[in-house]
Amino acid sequence: MNPDERRRRFEAVAPAVVDAVRRYLARRTDAATADDVLQETLLVCWRRLDDMPAVELLPWAYGIARLCLANAERSHRRQNRLVARILRLDPPGAVTRMVDDTDGELAEAMARLRPDDVELLRLWAWEDLTPGEIATVLGISANAASIRLHRAKQKLRDELRKHSHPGGHEELTEGRRP
Amino acid sequence: MTDDDDLRSRLRRTDPAAGLTPAAPEDISNLLEKTMTTAVVRPRFDTRLLTMAAAVIVLIAAVGGFLVTRPQPSSGPSQPVAAPVTTELAAPPAANAKCIEPTAAKLKEYADFAFAGTVTGISRGTVTLAVTRVYLGKPVTEVRVAQEGYSSETLMGSGRFENGLDYLVASNEGGILVCGYSGEATAPGLQELYDEAF
Repeated sequence: MNPDERRRRFEAVAPAVVDAVRRYLARRTDAATADDVLQETLLVCWRRLDDMPAVELLPWAYGIARLCLANAERSHRRQNRLVARILRLDPPGAVTRMVDDTDGELAEAMARLRPDDVELLRLWAWEDLTPGEIATVLGISANAASIRLHRAKQKLRDELRKHSHPGGHEELTEGRRP
Repeated sequence: MTDDDDLRSRLRRTDPAAGLTPAAPEDISNLLEKTMTTAVVRPRFDTRLLTMAAAVIVLIAAVGGFLVTRPQPSSGPSQPVAAPVTTELAAPPAANAKCIEPTAAKLKEYADFAFAGTVTGISRGTVTLAVTRVYLGKPVTEVRVAQEGYSSETLMGSGRFENGLDYLVASNEGGILVCGYSGEATAPGLQELYDEAF
């Protein structure tokens, strides 16, 4: 592919990728990190344009964004550790929690799940991906994605049920976040 | 509506990106332009390049072999005491240097030679670096790198070797690892990556 063709191809697909990856990142990190990682993701997409699939383009791009974000977060954690060492303070928590004022039960149920399960549910509900597409993002088999997603949904339902019917554990609900 | 639909709808109502306004078209254009001008495409693997590289390696081996095995002249000026121990690296990056996120583990896995050095000269497309520290591989005092066109431009920092600047360079089978694994020593995170890897 000559340079002009590359540019044309990239310019044709990139706006959709930018929009989708912006949303993907806004759901998972702060605005400043999202901007940096979006730029990095585009750079990698541009460099790997020859590997870009004709179908399932967005899951492919999400997969790249996921790795770039993990890299940025590792770097942040390193910086946090350094700051903590210097200031003798605990580093801030790296977990991005779902903040929701309208559905506290769901937020709490999600917070009790394993991060891997939460991510599967986000990809399914927020990015609107099929198990096959989730498999592309996470680099696992479609079968594994399907099974894990099914289990994650079940775990979330269980957590929601427990929350709705706490039985003898009323004290647990008293400290519920607004 | 199935249980799945209910659950999905409930999750969607908590989507933090639901209120995200679309990026302005001019912002997207600027972003794309920046991307396409910052990142330069690595050349496709070219058999002509392979042939040339093989020829260069044979030549280096022949010259090196001759220099090592030739009889020392009994008279004449003596060799400098601190003759540099030199290694040569090709500009095109190794085939396995894909632009995925750089990690210390991958650096350690990919690299068979890594060093810190200062560019002491650039002449006719060849960059000479004085080695200040060898992280991995045989100890050398000097490394020569071919700087050809755009093939070195994915180095961290300015993208090209520049005279007088310090660099951290890793290579695999004689090809420089780019994509975040080599570059100016002051590039953010690069020194930490090397410290962690080696």
